[in-house]
Amino acid sequence: MYQSIFFFCFLFSLSFLGVLGVLAVRRAGLSQTRAWCYLVWLSWQRQARASQMVWIAVGLLAFAVALVAIFTAMGAWSMHYWRWPYRQGPTFLQWADEIQIVMSVRDSSASGQGVQAALAAAVRGIVEHSGFAIFSHWGVFLLFLSFLLPLFNLSFATEALGGERESNSLIWLLSRPLPRPAIYLGKFVALLPWTLGLNLGGFGLLCLAGGQPGWLAFRLYWPAVLAATLAFSSLFYLMGAWFRRPAVAAIVYAFFLEVILGNMPGYMKRISIGFYTRCMMFDAASAFGIQPERPDIFLPVEGTTALAVLLGLTIALLGIGTVIFSRTQYQEIV
Amino acid sequence: MPDLLDSPDSGRGDRPLTAGLDLSFHETINPNHSLTVAAPTAAPLLLCQRVSKWYGPVIGVNQVTLELRSGITGLVGANGAGKSTLLRLITGHLRPDLGCIQVRGWDAWSTEARQHVGYCPETDAFYEEMSGRQFVESMARLCGYSRREARKRTEAVLERVGMAGRAERRLRGYSKGMRQRIKLAQALLHDPELLVLDEPLSGIDPVGRWEFIRLFRDLAALGKCLLISSHELEELEKLTDHIAIMAHGRIAAVGTVAQIRDRLDNHPLLIRIDVRGHSHAEHGNEREARRLAAALLKLRDVVGVELLDSPPDESVDPVLVRARNPQRFFQELTHLVLEEWYEIARLETLDDSTQAVLGYLLRGCSA
Amino acid sequence: MGESRNQAATPELLHYRPWRGAFRPPIASVWPIARVALMSLFRKWMFWVIYVLGLLIFLLFFFGQYLLSWAQTQAGETEVQLGGWGRTNPRQLIQLFRGLLKLDGGPQTYHNFFSYQGYIVMIVLALAGSILIGNDLRFGSLPFYLSKPLSRWHYLLGKGLAVAVFINLMTTVPALLLYAQWGLLESWDYFYERFDLLLGILGYGAVLTVTLTLLLLATATWLRRTVPLIMTWTTLFFFFRLLASALVDGLRFSPRWRLIDLWNSTSLIGRTCLGVPPRPMAFANQPPWHEAALILGGVSLLCLIYLIRRIQAVEIVR
Repeated sequence: MYQSIFFFCFLFSLSFLGVLGVLAVRRAGLSQTRAWCYLVWLSWQRQARASQMVWIAVGLLAFAVALVAIFTAMGAWSMHYWRWPYRQGPTFLQWADEIQIVMSVRDSSASGQGVQAALAAAVRGIVEHSGFAIFSHWGVFLLFLSFLLPLFNLSFATEALGGERESNSLIWLLSRPLPRPAIYLGKFVALLPWTLGLNLGGFGLLCLAGGQPGWLAFRLYWPAVLAATLAFSSLFYLMGAWFRRPAVAAIVYAFFLEVILGNMPGYMKRISIGFYTRCMMFDAASAFGIQPERPDIFLPVEGTTALAVLLGLTIALLGIGTVIFSRTQYQEIV
Repeated sequence: MPDLLDSPDSGRGDRPLTAGLDLSFHETINPNHSLTVAAPTAAPLLLCQRVSKWYGPVIGVNQVTLELRSGITGLVGANGAGKSTLLRLITGHLRPDLGCIQVRGWDAWSTEARQHVGYCPETDAFYEEMSGRQFVESMARLCGYSRREARKRTEAVLERVGMAGRAERRLRGYSKGMRQRIKLAQALLHDPELLVLDEPLSGIDPVGRWEFIRLFRDLAALGKCLLISSHELEELEKLTDHIAIMAHGRIAAVGTVAQIRDRLDNHPLLIRIDVRGHSHAEHGNEREARRLAAALLKLRDVVGVELLDSPPDESVDPVLVRARNPQRFFQELTHLVLEEWYEIARLETLDDSTQAVLGYLLRGCSA
Repeated sequence: MGESRNQAATPELLHYRPWRGAFRPPIASVWPIARVALMSLFRKWMFWVIYVLGLLIFLLFFFGQYLLSWAQTQAGETEVQLGGWGRTNPRQLIQLFRGLLKLDGGPQTYHNFFSYQGYIVMIVLALAGSILIGNDLRFGSLPFYLSKPLSRWHYLLGKGLAVAVFINLMTTVPALLLYAQWGLLESWDYFYERFDLLLGILGYGAVLTVTLTLLLLATATWLRRTVPLIMTWTTLFFFFRLLASALVDGLRFSPRWRLIDLWNSTSLIGRTCLGVPPRPMAFANQPPWHEAALILGGVSLLCLIYLIRRIQAVEIVR
């Protein structure tokens, strides 16, 4: 259901963007559409030429993928080698066997034996199928969602306009006979291949390297990653239009507010993008027992609600950004 | 609203049809692809009405009113006089806090206005990773031209600014002069009616300057309107007779250099001269100031002299002089001071704008 | 009379006159460079959002200590009933409370303070690198510095001094204030009895200063632009921290994997400097401090070698 809703919303958003862009440029005449398309192409190319940033992003992704692949080869996505006490005692499976033996000595009745066998089998089942939960918790939630996703969005989205402002080259775009809303939306469209490619593509690679649990994670979580990418991109892109040093604002948001707000009890966390992304993921993987550590404190929302919020936020942020960009006088570039 | 593919003369009112930049331009560019949008024909090309712009508490442009229809207009002023701010307002990069600016009847901030304006900014930032040709072609594509048309126009403007054979290198390796030429080239791309050029001659060698001056004259002859800013009046005098002098955010004077001089001659200038007397006597000071006042009254351009009270902490006596024909007055004052050896502690004109205009004119004469 | 008057009134024509004072040695330029760099850090209003967060942490510790100390003096000797838990002395209760919150002037207090402030320092340094050094290299201000009678070493020393002053202003100096506050609140004996804590604070500050300064100088000289610098810095201090946590806490790998987390390594050395007691067995999943020191020393050395190589390089601008 998610996928169909998502596809619908995503296509709607893209067509909305396209219509907005075309409407914006139609005011001035037909050939402006061509100018807008070229602007998208040029902006996409120029992002590629920010080579240092691209290389760091690709390098970081490659490093993460390689690590996940090594762990997969080592069979690390499982609890079968976990020990109690920590790193010293027997493994969980050994505990299950020993407890079964001890209990069978104490209670040799057939019903008691049956219960003990069922208990031991349940423990073994949990341990053997723990791969997805561990990959989700440590690979997806901790590494990807807490760091890689915001970082990739932050870098490319703030650089899209912020880089032009920093190098004073925005003046060339503003001097052309293109409406400012069209410039803003055009550059955002040019940004999407980068952020979607790195986040969704990167997530795909990470999951591919994660083996069986990785694939399951990708099948369940990709809509959340896509929606989060759109929301984060539009937010950081807006910061590029608004602030003179967008990277400062973006990093404060991504590594302060998201962390602080995302971990606050009550409803405060509902103003963080990460919260809705997690809600979508928890909702998608609820059948596999993935849920917040403390649902009574986390207070998750439905997956569809979270999706609607993230897409609505994307559109709202784009609208606000368009208005800000259209009205702002960039004194530093002229 | 007319289509973008309208004929380029559609927005030029009753002026003669001059579609391209020159003959060679005609040969390479299809005029039907020009980006001009029609507007009320009676509207002047550029109209600034009581425009003011503040940067926080500092006023950048103060109550400027300006109307341009054709030809070359030079905008001269010292650093910080407000030239660049005015040009940014005209090109729609800044918005006035008070007043309005219109280009062919469109608000300067609007996209429609930008279709009439070619802007050569002062800033020296480019897409450094591109070659000069790629950059200009990109700018043409951003105007909405097809690839073929963009290439044609790129070659034509590069030829026009003398960069056709040198535009393959990357921009980051260009000299200042080459960068100026590329900036000018991109401003000419869409054949605009109004060219706003911010310091286009700075950093260009003397030969290049003459080429640029010839180019500007050619463009003006084709009916384009050029607004060119510069620090040097002398430089602009070679190019045009029509000068606007800016000082402290205001247009201090407009007209030909000769007209400005005449107007200054007829407008009495208020000058304060602080005379320092000999230290031995308090009365000496007074006598010194009186002696100077008497001498000044004998000068033919002086229309009035007033002795002011001394400032409490200074051992000087201020004399306020009203004089016509400032250039001749200052020459005579210099002779007077050197012959009689007055010790002048301070000399200042009390009308700031006039002082700025005067400074430029005097510098222009002496050069 | 005319002649003497002419001589007396001869105007002193303006002319160039070389400066006649003695030049100070180039090392004297280090502080002005640092001062200018610091000013550029404190001039950015957006950074003040982060500074205010740092100030809030300090005030939390400062007034937390003060209020608990004050409450303890106000509590009487009489015992109070604690619900169904029995009777207790409020003074002892507050003492327990202080111990739990680690606001008791002990080593853990200062270690916690350094840890919280460290987060702020990391964020600011991620952003400050390009402002302090990257922009000089990108926008051509470096020749302005090097046209003066000073070498590249002096330039880097100046920038490094600015980073060091900033780090200490955020961590060591407020920690020393907390130390002084505790001594004044409790008794003067604290200064004598816990003199080791003073040395520990200075030691922890020195470790942070040396490591972070060298690392920032090296990364900023290498990357120059703001966004790549932020990406690298956050990778070093956030990604590796998360990764170490995933490896050790999640996948139950050896605690030695925590050595990839440089911030954790500084924290380990800090714990040793302050004499924080080792954690209970269940949480003892940390590598030994001397291995952490070895890693930090190695990283600092690598940064130093890189800086020396960069400084000896011919190319300096663009």
